[in-house]
Amino acid sequence: MLTVTNTLDDEDKPLIDADGKRIDEWSECLTLIAQQQDRAAFTRLLRHFAPLMKDVALSGSTLSANHAHELVQEVMLKVWQKASGFDAEKAAASTWIYTIARNCRTDLYRRLQKFDTPLSAEDVSDTPDSDDAFVVLHQKRSRDRIRSLIKELPNDQAQILAKVYMEGKTHSEVSGELDLPLGTVKSRVRLALQKLQLQLER
Amino acid sequence: MSNFHPEIELITEYAAGSLPLAQAACVSIHVTHCRRCQRIAGQLTELGASLFAALEPVPVGDNQLNAVLARLDDERPLEYANKKDSASSTPAILQRLMRGDFSDLKWSNISSTLRISYLKTGDPSHEFALYHIRAGGRIPQHTHRGTEMTLILEGGFSDANGSYHKGDFLVRRPGMCTHPPRCNPRTVSAWPYSMRRSGSPTGSSAG
Repeated sequence: MLTVTNTLDDEDKPLIDADGKRIDEWSECLTLIAQQQDRAAFTRLLRHFAPLMKDVALSGSTLSANHAHELVQEVMLKVWQKASGFDAEKAAASTWIYTIARNCRTDLYRRLQKFDTPLSAEDVSDTPDSDDAFVVLHQKRSRDRIRSLIKELPNDQAQILAKVYMEGKTHSEVSGELDLPLGTVKSRVRLALQKLQLQLER
Repeated sequence: MSNFHPEIELITEYAAGSLPLAQAACVSIHVTHCRRCQRIAGQLTELGASLFAALEPVPVGDNQLNAVLARLDDERPLEYANKKDSASSTPAILQRLMRGDFSDLKWSNISSTLRISYLKTGDPSHEFALYHIRAGGRIPQHTHRGTEMTLILEGGFSDANGSYHKGDFLVRRPGMCTHPPRCNPRTVSAWPYSMRRSGSPTGSSAG
């Protein structure tokens, strides 16, 4: 089992309404888009997330400016199209948007490498949100914990996580790029995960 | 419940979307059926979301934002029916890759006990194959050329290092070991198998 400690400041806590629904700004936007195809809500979301997506598209990747634009547009349009698949009771809006961004990036890389595959990144990504209330709560607590602890990671560990996650590189690609032994890369990842209290249950 | 799982670094690469396609498919099938790995994969995805949320925003011009807004009418919102798992016990990824059932596949007989069917994932650097070992059959001792992931879909087998059952996930690295796998009596085993290509495309560790 994980030890769960909620160390978040009050101001960072998402508001929960009487029905237990998360009412932070981004899940509200997604709900409005799903229910009413609300363009104003989409525009708010677009103004916040497109600049983050652009960072992903440009960071450490070999994407041309055109492909980077294409990626930003594609992610945001997917968010618009898929909004009704978002369930505010089970997931955080930012996590849901992140998974769309991650999958679009992977699919674009594969398209550019001319992969001929019947599988999309979504087909092989993690399974849908759990229906189990305990698992949902557990997940939420992990999220809060990770978001507070991540600021305390040493630079060398944060740098490698950024390459693995935001640049989509495997540990061995990171090892080649930073000219570090693979074992060092792996041990930094392992140390970072320990600090974030992310461990496999025994 | 399986006893052999992917290492956490591998699940991290999986959750980050950085694993090569064939490996991601193999890990995904294990994760779908292993609650423990599912939980940690979910948390590792939260880690990605936290890194994403903390990125330095890069200014996006109004013309680009408007280009997205202008396309909204063309991109119809998708309707989500409640997706229920199909009744089939075959993992969805395999169903997609096989376009049929195990019996419809083209199998190559490697020996009297082992047959193999290669599935096309589109991953240029990894093979992805189903292995079928006849119940009670033995596979000759062999060495591993590339990193191999094995996931047991049905039945089980054992080797010098242990006994493996449905859902177990194994990784064998080059030169790491040689072992003579033996299929458990009266069980049938088939599993997807992904291996980095090195030279001959059909070469396999099964000897």
